[in-house]
Amino acid sequence: MGGNVSQLERDIGSDQFPPNEHYFGLVNFGNTCYSNSVLQALYFCKPFRDKVLEYKARNKRNKETLLTCLADLFHSIATQKKKVGSIAPKKFINRLRKEKEEFNNYMQQDAHEFLNFLINHINEIILSERNQANCNGKSKSITPNIIDGESTTSSITSSSSQNQDPTWVHEIFQGILTSETRCLNCEEISSKDEDFFDLQVDIDQNTSITHCLRCFSNTEMLCSDNKFKCDNCCSYQEAQKCMRVKKLPMILALHLKRFKYMEQFNRHIKVSHRVVFPLELRLFNTSDDAVNPDRMYNLVAVVIHCGSGPNRGHYISIVKSHDFWLLFDDDMVDKIDQSAIEDFYGLTSDLQKSSETGYILFYQSRDATEISNSGMSESKSSHCK
Amino acid sequence: MSTLHKNCLAQPGRKKVQISFVIRDEVERRHRAGVNSLQLDSKQGILYSAGRDGIIRQWDVRDNIEATYLRSLEHHTDWVNDIVLCCGGNYLISASSDTTVKLWGLRKENTCLSTLRTHKDYVRALAYARDKEVVASAGLDKTIFMWDVNMLTTLTTTNNTVTTASLPGSKNSIYSLALNNSGTVLISGSTEKVLRVWDTRTSDCMMKLIGHTDNVKALVVNRDGTQCLSGSSDGTIKLWSLGQQQCIQTLRIHKEGVWALTATDNFSHVVSGGRDKKIYMTDLKNPNKVQLVCNESAPVVKMVTTPDMSAIWVATSESSINCWKLRKSDESADFEDLSTTPYNQEPYRTLKGAAAIRKYHVLNDKRTILTQDTEKNVAVYDVLKASKLQDLGQVDFDEEIKKRHRIIFIPNWFSVDLKTGMLTIHLGQDENDCFAAWVSAKEAGINVTDDNLRVNYGNRMLRSLLENWLNRIQTDHGSTETVQSTELNAQTKLDSQCCKIPRHTPLMISEVGGRCLYRMLVSQAGDENDVSILNEIIPAWVMNVIVEKSIPKALKISFYLVPLSNTCIRPVKNGTLRPSRDRLVANDFIQVQKIAEYIHEKLSENDGSGPYNKTSDCISNHLQGNTPEKNFELSCNDQVLSPTMDLRTVKHFIWKSSADLTIYFKAKH
Repeated sequence: MGGNVSQLERDIGSDQFPPNEHYFGLVNFGNTCYSNSVLQALYFCKPFRDKVLEYKARNKRNKETLLTCLADLFHSIATQKKKVGSIAPKKFINRLRKEKEEFNNYMQQDAHEFLNFLINHINEIILSERNQANCNGKSKSITPNIIDGESTTSSITSSSSQNQDPTWVHEIFQGILTSETRCLNCEEISSKDEDFFDLQVDIDQNTSITHCLRCFSNTEMLCSDNKFKCDNCCSYQEAQKCMRVKKLPMILALHLKRFKYMEQFNRHIKVSHRVVFPLELRLFNTSDDAVNPDRMYNLVAVVIHCGSGPNRGHYISIVKSHDFWLLFDDDMVDKIDQSAIEDFYGLTSDLQKSSETGYILFYQSRDATEISNSGMSESKSSHCK
Repeated sequence: MSTLHKNCLAQPGRKKVQISFVIRDEVERRHRAGVNSLQLDSKQGILYSAGRDGIIRQWDVRDNIEATYLRSLEHHTDWVNDIVLCCGGNYLISASSDTTVKLWGLRKENTCLSTLRTHKDYVRALAYARDKEVVASAGLDKTIFMWDVNMLTTLTTTNNTVTTASLPGSKNSIYSLALNNSGTVLISGSTEKVLRVWDTRTSDCMMKLIGHTDNVKALVVNRDGTQCLSGSSDGTIKLWSLGQQQCIQTLRIHKEGVWALTATDNFSHVVSGGRDKKIYMTDLKNPNKVQLVCNESAPVVKMVTTPDMSAIWVATSESSINCWKLRKSDESADFEDLSTTPYNQEPYRTLKGAAAIRKYHVLNDKRTILTQDTEKNVAVYDVLKASKLQDLGQVDFDEEIKKRHRIIFIPNWFSVDLKTGMLTIHLGQDENDCFAAWVSAKEAGINVTDDNLRVNYGNRMLRSLLENWLNRIQTDHGSTETVQSTELNAQTKLDSQCCKIPRHTPLMISEVGGRCLYRMLVSQAGDENDVSILNEIIPAWVMNVIVEKSIPKALKISFYLVPLSNTCIRPVKNGTLRPSRDRLVANDFIQVQKIAEYIHEKLSENDGSGPYNKTSDCISNHLQGNTPEKNFELSCNDQVLSPTMDLRTVKHFIWKSSADLTIYFKAKH
């Protein structure tokens, strides 16, 4: 293994190796590659990593949560003396197994389910900690002499209206989908907004992610047994429904629905369709009143599923760090050529069941990259004080 | 339970069956909700209107007298979407969202002669070829059927099979149809946005006319089938030449979807209406000559003109039907403001409609419903009596609900539907189990001496609805009932009682969320013909309970009884304050005083062996000579429980959690 590590350094070249960057593999604790692959992808979503490290810096004596475990893990990667190596995310995995029963075993899990759980769970932790701070703040405000520093007062003022305020998880991952439903009888349009942390996209053979996103926003007919209950008509009527993106998130996570339930086999079958995902992406399925429809995205990380089914096979991830691509396979890290990404688009023939295919794509908006870079330097300067 | 299961297995693929009824007046003289279609018999001076309340009404509209309601044609169970008059006004054919097409005799009987169940989804549109006596029907199941009216009229109850083939090729829901008088050309409009033109003799789709950008909702074809007019949700009206297979004129008059069209016989003028509530008359030779006929108060759904084109009857999504005058073609006019100033300010005649119920709220007693209608009137209904109790007038709806709020919890046992503008109550075994609600006789308003007697609302309701049928089949089955009668105790007597509900109440047996299998009035359920049909279609879940008398199971609630720390009772286990983990299960309607009795019993009979231990003698003093509820005070979430409160109410209003209920008790001092 040691040879491999030095190989990576050699591949990158010591003069090319980015300063303050560490490439550490994660040890597998028995089918925990679903977690390892997602954690690596998230670590290389810079805005997310920065916020987690910031959380670590700000919360020293918290009781253990999944977020503190994640923060400790990210912190320990970021503060390693060596540039490359591997690390055992033992505390994180143990905590994860305690938090959610579904993950408390040694079976292969769905990486998307894990990502979904992790993001939602972290968000809840932040919200509940904020609530607590809010309560404490209130009790303090009754006896104002206890307030002992500027930082406390500022946290109180910001917390007074904060329950609806977005958390940094919202700020990074949350987008808004708007669904417009038009009743075919009265032709009234009702629209509803819903928040999302990732978009789950159906895929077709030999297409691109842009095509799949367009299909995602195709008009759907609500008819026969699936009619729409129209409030205006007080009855079930046919309707046309359309989902479009109203607010584009800073990091757009796209989940390709590669596991399809097949009735005849009574289980989920992997769909290995070839779906091209470009390095740069622009969304075209935005709503007319979208806030930021022109956002340009860069591909920053991909969680890849290898194998033939959701509960078997292996997960790895590829990430972009500075100007090159790395492949993380549990505790192994390799530099790969950008052209090698094509290998993970999928298979053009449906005969082969097993494949190595992109499963979750992380696109980061360009403006976020700029903001996060400038934000990072600011937070560093504040640390120095 | 097991029989129910067997029966379900025996009919694979068949949807669950529910029983529904409508709370309404015996005669509903006015439309309750929007009107979807109109037909005028100008010879007789009768207007026919098809309502979303499921009722087709006949109106006397002869000249020079006030228009009056004549009678109703009732048999549909959902919106009537379209009607056509056939055979010189002797018959009427109707199409409904209940998926049926019905034939009505109008000369003598004014009844439904036959029901065609060929369509699998809402039937939206009908078309009629006068010269050939052929009717076409089409709808959301994408199919078009052709019916020979003369053949339909020969159908009897025994010989009622009709074989007909659908015109093939449609891939979309059909919203409009047109047939020329000779029945040679059929045109359909659908969400496909194109018009399909069929040769009815060969059943071939001759052409597709492409041009509209949205659903096609209105179609008219001229007498010889050479031209047609289409109205679309895209807001345009198009004139097509079938010979040239192309659009020869596009009219952009309306701001929103065009839903209704009617044209003069020679296609010189077209009258159009739609979502923008405006009706225009356009000269097709000079399409700049557009006359605004009137501003309706709601989107226009259908129009029929008098034969001399002097007036037009208009149906909208509201319940009133207006008649407006049309400008005569030779009448001179000021062209400037023709399209902005309406020819009529007020309708020339109006058939007044009634308000439709738009909102409802089921009160906690799960039998009283508050409703609010389109005129903001609030009314109170009693489901068990299938009647309206009170009109409250235009009062604040939410305030009235608040006023009647009670802390009592009874499970849902029915669902409510307002699609017809009247209250329709569904009883089934879906998300709301019809037999879920057991209530004390007192709560149900029955005078009995025994406090322990319970009634099941669903059981009582079904018995009331099917009373006539039950009486018939019980007399048919001889004296089995009288043998049992000696064993009848008060509870079963109570169960078999029913409340009197209006005999005109319509009763429907239908597949859940789908097709109606049978409709009758409560009074007819004992008629010979209906009895035999009912015997076949009454679902097993109803049979088991109301005929075979297997008592529906009460819902159970599990809970923990934990002594409060300041009492001298300690749980046996180690004498700690840890709540006893003995889980108890009881019927959800058990009252708090029953639980007090249970504690009393356990503590007085078992010393040390029961779940609770007396650590001192203070309890025994308490137990003597007092009624149990006076001995113990029960509480939940720090709230003292009233002895008459039942478990489900405690769980729902005080515990407020789906976790197992915990009740604390202490001895009173």
